Amino acid sequence: MNQQQDQGQTDLIVQCLTLVQKLRHGVGQVFKDLSDGVSDYVEETTEKEDTDGASSKNETTSKDKTGSQKEVTVGGDKEESQEKHRAILRTLKASLETISHDFSDLEKTGSTINSVQSFSNIDNLSLDPVDKNTVMHSQLLQSYKWTNKMHEFATQAVTVLAQNSLKRTSSPKFTSSKMLKGSMHVACHVPPATVDQLIASLVLTYKDMGMDISISRPLGNSTILQVELCRVLRAVVVLRGLMIEWVKVKGLDETFESDDRQMDIWSSSRYQVFQKITDHAVAASLHYYAPAKPDLAIKSYLLWLQGYSTLFSSPCHKCGRYLQNNLPPTWRDYRSREPFHDVCRV
Amino acid sequence: MGVSCVFSYPVPEGRSGAQVVDILQKQVETMGGSKTGTFYVDCETYQSVMLNPPKTLHILHNSEYPASCFAILDSGATLVADTLFIALMSNLKNIYQAWKGAKIESKGNRFQLADFILKIGSVSLAGSFKGILLEVEYCPCIVASECWAMLKELLQSLIGNIAESPPSALKKKKWMKSTPQQPQCCSTWTISTTLGKLPP
Repeated sequence: MNQQQDQGQTDLIVQCLTLVQKLRHGVGQVFKDLSDGVSDYVEETTEKEDTDGASSKNETTSKDKTGSQKEVTVGGDKEESQEKHRAILRTLKASLETISHDFSDLEKTGSTINSVQSFSNIDNLSLDPVDKNTVMHSQLLQSYKWTNKMHEFATQAVTVLAQNSLKRTSSPKFTSSKMLKGSMHVACHVPPATVDQLIASLVLTYKDMGMDISISRPLGNSTILQVELCRVLRAVVVLRGLMIEWVKVKGLDETFESDDRQMDIWSSSRYQVFQKITDHAVAASLHYYAPAKPDLAIKSYLLWLQGYSTLFSSPCHKCGRYLQNNLPPTWRDYRSREPFHDVCRV
Repeated sequence: MGVSCVFSYPVPEGRSGAQVVDILQKQVETMGGSKTGTFYVDCETYQSVMLNPPKTLHILHNSEYPASCFAILDSGATLVADTLFIALMSNLKNIYQAWKGAKIESKGNRFQLADFILKIGSVSLAGSFKGILLEVEYCPCIVASECWAMLKELLQSLIGNIAESPPSALKKKKWMKSTPQQPQCCSTWTISTTLGKLPP
């Protein structure tokens, strides 16, 4: 249907173009005739003048002798020129009539053509024949696609994020005002006594799960938790208020004490497996970052860390093997705490 | 100082020990292991002169602990001393005498494979070739029963069914850090690994 309409439109446009051509031709003809005719006429008149001049001279020299004859010739010339003049006028008139006819035709056809609907400025841009502008057009199309894609992903992300009730961003757009009450500042500035109290309760909870937690404050206000897990690993967790700020994991035969008996929270383990776990633990500390509920965050973080108690003895949940790249499953799922190899978790 | 297991690798007929060692080394290198030098373990045996029945004393050196010297008695009593301890033994000639022809040693290349250390050594008793020993150590773990499945998986790709069942000693002692397999080298490996608990 649409196509047919388009076809009709194109036909009309073609017709119009032909008519315009015809009109142009007619107008051109008129001008040509006009210029030819006038020049002819002018020539005639000059000739006539010349003859007139000559005849006047003749007249002065021989008045009576050629007077009557001359009048006849002049009269014939005049008639001829008048005839020519008329002919020119006729052709002109005919041409002008054709033109007006053509023009009214064109007007008639033109009025039936609908105006072309332009979608956006981009369409106009694509009509621009200048080369450097057409490059811009393709780039614009590209960016348009990207914007579309981004919009699509953003929509998906919103649906996914909406499922998670624990919001990290304390923007009123994303969090309800109820959540905002326990803001980040509160999580940072917690008196040591409160931290001690919380940790003490956690120590009791996790003792049965093979997790020994000891608390110390060698660096001033920051609390340092030293975790020893089931004869598997040792970890140090530095808290700022109730927020996890630094994590380091080492083997049981390694120590967090430097040579001068100071606390050393910076040096990495010499074993690849614990270096990897440190990376994962740091990532997890971001995952469990919830300034609105810092106590819950620490609790679930330690629970997640407890999942490493079977570090050497459990196979990967996906591939069923113990070793991958000569490393045991070093990653634990955040929800299920199932063991995965670094490369198997995707 | 983690968990280590020692296995004796049989030399098939028609092949020399050096050939088998070569094959094993190539396998380890294919698995991604990189050579990190050589190792050396030896054991000298001394016998008491006066007592009847005679008591034996083994003195061991291990290249992992180059400054130390280990001693073990029949009773199981162990001693860690400086390397100069061997000089002291020469002063005890009247009590303990070296058992001639009983010096056993194992030497070969040491490979590192992530956190694993693999040692492939050819064992010789008084200079004559006796067999091949493969030691696998997993450093980050200290409980043998925990990482046995992992060690097995690694070993099966290397030596096949020899590593099918855990060493008997491992079943009994969960905290033991190493297990001897070859009777000849029993004391050597026991001491070289159990003493790992103590500061070298």
